[in-house]
Amino acid sequence: MNESQFGDKIRHILNQGLSLDSRKAARLQAARELALARKRPEPVGVLASAGVWAGNMAGDFGGWTGLSLRLLVPVAMLLIGFGAIYTWQQNQRAAEVEEIDAQLLTGDLPIDAYLDRGFQNYLKTRAAEE
Amino acid sequence: MASRSELSAFLESVERRAFKQAVFAVRDEEAALDIVQDAMLRLSEKYGHRPAEELPLLFHRIVQNAIRDWFRRQKVRSLWTTSLSSLAPGRGEDEDQDPLETLQAADGSNREEAPAEQLERAQVLEIIEQELARLPARQREAFVMRYWEELDVAETARVMGCSEGSVKTHCSRAAHALAAALRARGITL
Repeated sequence: MNESQFGDKIRHILNQGLSLDSRKAARLQAARELALARKRPEPVGVLASAGVWAGNMAGDFGGWTGLSLRLLVPVAMLLIGFGAIYTWQQNQRAAEVEEIDAQLLTGDLPIDAYLDRGFQNYLKTRAAEE
Repeated sequence: MASRSELSAFLESVERRAFKQAVFAVRDEEAALDIVQDAMLRLSEKYGHRPAEELPLLFHRIVQNAIRDWFRRQKVRSLWTTSLSSLAPGRGEDEDQDPLETLQAADGSNREEAPAEQLERAQVLEIIEQELARLPARQREAFVMRYWEELDVAETARVMGCSEGSVKTHCSRAAHALAAALRARGITL
């Protein structure tokens, strides 16, 4: 006798032992009725489907929707955080450049002086001497 | 989506087998009834909107998880009540069950069968249930789902969360162990 035939015989015998006493049968029936009472109402038409969908998205934190929400919310917050840091850094850099530009434009020294290598060497040697 | 009547018919068709499976696993009928009730509620509340053909796999998975949850809770509880648990009634009563009780519970279609045959059949059933309960949990799960619930290898692997190869190995070992145990108790199928 192979495994499959053996399994079939065991199933046949086990199925004969499925009768339960009235107390257990009543308990199982009560459990079944309770479970059916807790079943979500069946949606009727498109509006109801939309309502169920919205309910799932908004309030259901169990099952696949809950899992995706639990995963998506932290990821979205992380991305928003990265975006905020990047924008702040760009603003800082722009402010620094603006500051330098303002000092250059309002200073007495002509801009061309900063491009002159001799003037740069003069500034370095002078700084070294001081 | 499974309708209310489909869900009801499905639960009615699986509840007794689920109860027996839970009894094999936890060896406590009251706990097994609680497990089946929890599994039914969880299926209905969380997966009642799924198509009817998905219900069997979901339900089996929920039952297996509920059994594991029960063992986890027992483990925690036993840390506190180790000395008291040995005094509590439970397993011994089930194992000493009189086969005649099962005969009384049998339906009327068996009345023409000779009493000796009825008794023998009830004893064989009793012994098979005892030996099934003695199998390692994973082997029993695989064997029961494959041959009692008639799930195929792929479905059983999905419910158990393991590979198809593991399911085949568990089933084969369970079948050999069960056959050897029955032979040792003088039962030939």
